[in-house]
Amino acid sequence: MTKPIYIHGSGCVSVQPTFEAGYFFDHVTSYTQNPVPALDPDYKAFIPALQLRRMNKSMRMAIFASRMAMQQAGITTVDAIITGSGLGCLRDSERFVEALRTDEGSLLNPTPFIQSTHNMAAAALALSLGCKGYNMTYVNNANSFESALLDAMIYLTEHPAATILLGGVDELGERTTQFWDLANYLKRDDATIPTPLIEQATPGEIATEGATFFVASQEPGDHTFGKIRAVETRLEVDAPEIFISGFLQRNGIEAETLDAVVLGYNGDSRYDEIYRTLGSSLFANLPQIAFKHVVGEYDTVVAAALFLALGIFQRQHVPQRLLLNHSSIPPILRRILIYTQRRGQNHSVILVEK
Amino acid sequence: MTPIVPIAVTGMGAISAIGNNVTENFRSLVDSKHGIAPIRQLDTWHRERLLAGEIHMDNAELYDRLQLSREAAYTRSTLLALMATKEAIETAAFKPGDGYRTGLISATTVGGMDATERYYDDYLVSEKNRSFIQTHPCGYAAEQMGKYFGVSDFITTISTACSSAANAIMLGARMIRAGQLDRAIVGGTDCLSRFTINGFNSLMIYTDGHCKPFDENRNGLNLGEAAAYLVLEAPEVARKRMKSPIAYLTGYGNANDAFHQTASSDNGEGAYLAMRRALEVSGLNPRDIDYVNAHGTATPNNDLAEGNALLRIYGSASAIPPFSSTKAFTGHTLAAAGAIEAVFSILALQHQVVFPNLNFSQPIASLGIVPQTALTEQRIDHVLSNSFGFGGNCSTLLFSKDHD
Repeated sequence: MTKPIYIHGSGCVSVQPTFEAGYFFDHVTSYTQNPVPALDPDYKAFIPALQLRRMNKSMRMAIFASRMAMQQAGITTVDAIITGSGLGCLRDSERFVEALRTDEGSLLNPTPFIQSTHNMAAAALALSLGCKGYNMTYVNNANSFESALLDAMIYLTEHPAATILLGGVDELGERTTQFWDLANYLKRDDATIPTPLIEQATPGEIATEGATFFVASQEPGDHTFGKIRAVETRLEVDAPEIFISGFLQRNGIEAETLDAVVLGYNGDSRYDEIYRTLGSSLFANLPQIAFKHVVGEYDTVVAAALFLALGIFQRQHVPQRLLLNHSSIPPILRRILIYTQRRGQNHSVILVEK
Repeated sequence: MTPIVPIAVTGMGAISAIGNNVTENFRSLVDSKHGIAPIRQLDTWHRERLLAGEIHMDNAELYDRLQLSREAAYTRSTLLALMATKEAIETAAFKPGDGYRTGLISATTVGGMDATERYYDDYLVSEKNRSFIQTHPCGYAAEQMGKYFGVSDFITTISTACSSAANAIMLGARMIRAGQLDRAIVGGTDCLSRFTINGFNSLMIYTDGHCKPFDENRNGLNLGEAAAYLVLEAPEVARKRMKSPIAYLTGYGNANDAFHQTASSDNGEGAYLAMRRALEVSGLNPRDIDYVNAHGTATPNNDLAEGNALLRIYGSASAIPPFSSTKAFTGHTLAAAGAIEAVFSILALQHQVVFPNLNFSQPIASLGIVPQTALTEQRIDHVLSNSFGFGGNCSTLLFSKDHD
């Protein structure tokens, strides 16, 4: 079986200033729109201007977030790069579809095609780091990051001396967002961040984007934030409670020994009930923390939940804006379970420990 | 590194321009019958102009063969994947839900792009085809496949350009080895789409005729569409089911060329590293390999890089075992290439034959390596299969007849 992996650095680009030093969700940027693009950090801090100009947002966000993580971990090279991206480089994909619909037959500009492929963020990382090691991209809808995480755990079990980059990235596309709206995925009225949850929830998601990357290895180090013990995904479950208790059981853990749970509430009234049911049963006596109401919804957003959980360990503090209930917070926070799903599918659980 | 426990291959299925199942594909390979012709089905400016490896079944026929409701939204990549997976499960002779933890790991680069490009403006004005909106993400096909076959223990999708399927096969083996699964259905699918056809055209990467892998005068590739899947099992699971494996997956390697977004380094660094890692995992020496099923796209860049990588592994042209690229039969099938060529590699092991590299006449002057140009019967115990892609993604699989 796989062994836990230790996280030594993390970087996050999102609709909140998560990339700013010292930021930890104590103040939250508000929006009244849908979709919401990610805030742009000073990419030039890590990416030469000439290269930056050619990069799409997925590549920029992924490189920035991973360089942050590497800086934090105090490393300049990695042995492998494992990423997830539900939709890949959407803007370049759209650009190329639009070009071929009007000018098929003439010679089209190849750049949007080249940069449309889903592996382009991981490839850009390999290129910028000169990393010739294992390189992988998972495109498993809302469980894309979880697949990358599982692979990372297997990879580090196979290569105990390796240090790797692990992350998830997704960007917004203009036409694709229109499509999601037509498919009734998105919130139309009252689209706000922070998104009202539970009783105030309305149908639909707030579409956003972001990148979150981690430096991981099998050994604890000086700057270790915490470790990931296990991850599991299911496309569909009959009852989330049974899936989650089964997961806890397989890992030899009682729900009572968790110090908090991070849940994927996104303010979509059609599906938030799933979390609410768990909140009043399996997790009734635990501090419940939400994150999607401040960072929005995209396929790899669960990586931001992991960023949050590790930050909670490091600071031993739960940001008030993210806490859903009044359950007393244990004096020491050392074990957090993350559970998310999307539109009733792609369920995942991640067990994180200090 | 200690050699790994070999993973049993207990079934396989394939559909490509040279056949709708494994037997038909084998027959075409043996008869040197390629499937490259002017595009006839896909609605594109390039129809009747560009040569490609198109599968001779339209979506309506695929729906019928799979007994799918015409009301349900399935894109062509998914339909092809269902065809190939059905054959793989039938030959492996198991029923999902038989108590063994079974995963599905699929690969694609096209995903539902063929529907998106078709209905790009239509979606906005008409409700008629909106059920296809959900098919766009690459991960959707595998989820539909999981539901169709009742495979639910683990589902994921990989997209690493033209090495995608090789990576899906590799992950299946690694998950079984790590004790996460007992069995994995692994492979890849990509249909032709205007997106990829125009994309490769924009790169000016097509030959004006039939592709000539490893030829001095090679001038580009033919595109193709295909789906192929293998069933991998822990050897003890196959043993318990009294199912004798058709081959073993004994090695795999993944590396990144880290050289350029699309081009390969001239010395084939990524290709070299992928092959070397696959050999290391298997515990085999380069000289143990009896046949190399090369990536061999017939672009000037790929074949030079891959040829150089082979020379680096073997030291000299004369030491390289018989090798061939089968791309001139099927076209380059992108995310499916690693899987269709895994099927061909296993066929080579089963029938003890090396498949010909079509359209070759003159060796690349700077390399001096000569692929196998005629069907050749010989002893084959171990086959190496290469798949390389954009973004520097390079992967190599190693299949063996027996594991000892």
